[in-house]
Amino acid sequence: MNPQATPAIETFELVKRYGDAVALAGLTMAVSRGEVFGFLGPNGAGKTTAVKLLLGLASASSGSGWVLGEDLGARAARRRIGYLPELFRYQDWLSAREVLALHCALSDMPTARRAAEVEHALDTVGLARRADDRVGTFSKGMQQRLGLGVALLGTPELVFLDEPTSALDPVGRHDVREIIGALKRRGATVFLNSHLLTEVEHVCDRVAMIDRGRIVRIGSVTSLIGVATELRVRVADTSPQVDASLRRYGRVSFHDGWYVIHGIAQDRVPALVADIVAVGARVHAVEPHHATLEERFLQILRGPSNGAADDRSAGGP
Amino acid sequence: MALLTIALLAVREAARRRLLTAAAALTIVLVGLTGWSVSRLVSLHDAWKSPSTVALHASIFVILLAWGFSMVLAVGAAFLAAPAIASEVETGLILAVLPRPIRRSDFVLGKWLGLALLLGAYIALTAALEFATIKAVTGYLPPHPIAAALYLMGEAFVLMTLALFASTRVASMTGGIIAIALFGVAWIAGMVQTIAIAFNNQSIETATAAVGLLLPTDAFWRGAVFSLEPSAVVATANAAGRSAADNTPFGISAPPSTALLLWSFGWTAVVLSAAVLTFNHRDL
Repeated sequence: MNPQATPAIETFELVKRYGDAVALAGLTMAVSRGEVFGFLGPNGAGKTTAVKLLLGLASASSGSGWVLGEDLGARAARRRIGYLPELFRYQDWLSAREVLALHCALSDMPTARRAAEVEHALDTVGLARRADDRVGTFSKGMQQRLGLGVALLGTPELVFLDEPTSALDPVGRHDVREIIGALKRRGATVFLNSHLLTEVEHVCDRVAMIDRGRIVRIGSVTSLIGVATELRVRVADTSPQVDASLRRYGRVSFHDGWYVIHGIAQDRVPALVADIVAVGARVHAVEPHHATLEERFLQILRGPSNGAADDRSAGGP
Repeated sequence: MALLTIALLAVREAARRRLLTAAAALTIVLVGLTGWSVSRLVSLHDAWKSPSTVALHASIFVILLAWGFSMVLAVGAAFLAAPAIASEVETGLILAVLPRPIRRSDFVLGKWLGLALLLGAYIALTAALEFATIKAVTGYLPPHPIAAALYLMGEAFVLMTLALFASTRVASMTGGIIAIALFGVAWIAGMVQTIAIAFNNQSIETATAAVGLLLPTDAFWRGAVFSLEPSAVVATANAAGRSAADNTPFGISAPPSTALLLWSFGWTAVVLSAAVLTFNHRDL
């Protein structure tokens, strides 16, 4: 069987118990090759445990899984994997260049390739100017950049990024998005574990939401947040006729000077605008609106009631 | 290759953390003090002018020095090896290393090799400098200086292996304390054993011998002492009978048996294998 035909990650009912505590309660999922996959969940949901099982850092209590077509923890798979741990720590008595060289050596990389790999990683994560400084003198953000560089060594087929921007400033976060984009363009699979949902929303193709050791939702970002079924309209010179016109397109509420029309199909927006104008109102702005991943995340984890909008009956100012 | 990479990393860490510098500085101080002490002792009494008396007194001095050195080695080996793996687990450093395509056995054995290189080199250099200094000042050289250094290495490696095994399972501090405490128990058992032999108490002798088998550091210490004793001292002690000869912690009438040495090598191999097995199954 062509190894490329296997998913990058596949798990079936993966369970991890620590004594009586269940950290992972039956993880079943598949991540395709070349996909940027987001793995979301509240603290203690089992995200890092799942990553540790996938990397062979911990063994599963039951269930099975494969990474790049190999059993969990297999060296053949680890040779093609890059990993940035959530708790990123590197030898503080080595320089950044030496840390990268060490990881090249541990990866069985041919000696001739190592220098170029190290330079490329330093350039990619923006540490070229501090390459010969000791890691102990680095800020947390710089150490996280170094960790990213380590994860990118050797052109890995699969990269695990566990909270890759937790210590980074906005520029660093932007750089990480660029790096993930570059990985995707060259066909690598990215497994992104992050609390920053806007970040996940921007870069991920699919997302799994995990809670109490189980996946509660999995799908494309679009399928999770849904297509826009809400329209926000700011109108001057409103009148009862405007309200009546809007109600023909869906349930209407009014928030902070905006009409919100719920359940409207996007192809009906031009007709709605034309109707408002026809009754003498002036349209200042029209914005389709869909739920953010964060809103969906909260809805799913807390239940729909907490994520519901604070609707009220339509009524102009 | 990963094993060698890890071993050399341990050596490089010692160098970067100035452990080698500190060890070198302390050794220079120790050797200087040794030279000064021996020269003062020689100048105190005319009796020291006799070559046989010089040999006798210098041999006692060397054995006492070796005893102090063995204690330093025991503490050094335990506190070097106890955090070798445990601290990397505690800090999370290991989370970046082990996902690389390396075997956990290579990681453990690489640590062992790196620490053995450090300890072995330290013991060889310090022993060479000490023996050379004593020879220069008194003209006396113990009968088997290389064997003595090798026995001290054996003692250090046994304790280092035990501490490394602890490091795969428990916190650095706990591992260090366990290794030092067990070393103390084994040393005291060795002392009690000599007393048991003197009083011909078979049950205590058997019990203390069993402790010596559970942690064979004392066998190596006895080998070191035997290697440092002038042959005349050993011959005199043997002529006085077994009990008299063994009735001192610093006077040994025979080197450790081949069987005991083989047991000690086997013990080291088994404990190191246990360290590998334990670490192989540890969740990180």
